[in-house]
Amino acid sequence: MWCYEKRLQFPVNIKITCPKTAQLIISQYGGPDGELSASMRYLSQRYSMPVKKVSGLLTDIGTEELGHMEIICAMVYQLTRNLTAQEAKTAGFDTYYIDHTKAVFPQAAGGVPFTSLEFQSKGDAITDLFEDLAAEQKARTVYENLLRVITEPDVIAPLKFLRAREIVHFQRFGEALELTKQELNEKNFYYYNMEFDKESLKKE
Amino acid sequence: MENQLHTSLAITTIPIQTWCELYPLETALYEGTIFPCLNLLFFKAPLSTESSKASNGKTEKEQLLSQINTISFAINDLTLYLDTHPTCQNGTTLFYELMKKRLDLLTEFADKYNPLTQFSMGIEPYSTSNYNWSEGAMPWEGGDL
Repeated sequence: MWCYEKRLQFPVNIKITCPKTAQLIISQYGGPDGELSASMRYLSQRYSMPVKKVSGLLTDIGTEELGHMEIICAMVYQLTRNLTAQEAKTAGFDTYYIDHTKAVFPQAAGGVPFTSLEFQSKGDAITDLFEDLAAEQKARTVYENLLRVITEPDVIAPLKFLRAREIVHFQRFGEALELTKQELNEKNFYYYNMEFDKESLKKE
Repeated sequence: MENQLHTSLAITTIPIQTWCELYPLETALYEGTIFPCLNLLFFKAPLSTESSKASNGKTEKEQLLSQINTISFAINDLTLYLDTHPTCQNGTTLFYELMKKRLDLLTEFADKYNPLTQFSMGIEPYSTSNYNWSEGAMPWEGGDL
């Protein structure tokens, strides 16, 4: 069960209208390395994760990613809320505008709609944690790509915050990997899949 | 987690974080972590100056919301740390201290303006004569709340 709080994890106050920036940032909503993908990845993986502390961490990070998704959506919304049809046309936002008007829709910067094909829930604790570590790095790269081309301070502040979170999450998933390794045979971490070959578990 | 880390072939080893001196909490929100040791900056996004001007020109309501955001974020970051370091005494002490403060601030906000969580609608001295969960701006509107 989740409990909603009527506030953003990081405040978003963008006064300018800039459909071009919205079109780039929207990738972190519905793009391949976006917050929606991140959240669904962690919240899907946690059910079969054999180490309890790790399923707890996946739940907490997956929950925080929902909050990040809301920050990105708030940015896209504020950047386009006063948009005119003419502005949409000149800024190259016209293709989005035709399909979604000013509504927020999960898609990548290139227009590909959100898809679960971008993430995995593999059912092997080691494999899934490496997927998660990689996901945090991919999202960091996207935030850095955005920070290189965006100059508006009100837009930069939340992007910088979100980038910093990727590094913290990477560290936590690294610690989760160490917790998982402690439950496995240290001479061969691949001797069995602890999510499937349960009878082989060293500890219960 | 204090166990010796084993380094083996064909797997990575990531060092476990140890507790470090924290950022002041107002700064932490703008840096994106309470832990300076995890704040690895990108050259295009240097250290923030946001916190110094945080309370200038803000209404009392905005200041209260800022305090809630600051404390709640510190709790978010601390929660992930404690997920992998549940026996850390420094973290545990700070967690309970911040949880108490957060609850007080949420109650104050609900009492003076509107509830940010339904949870705070069940706490005294909240007025129970009117139902106002739908009051207050939606968070994505930004601006003056």
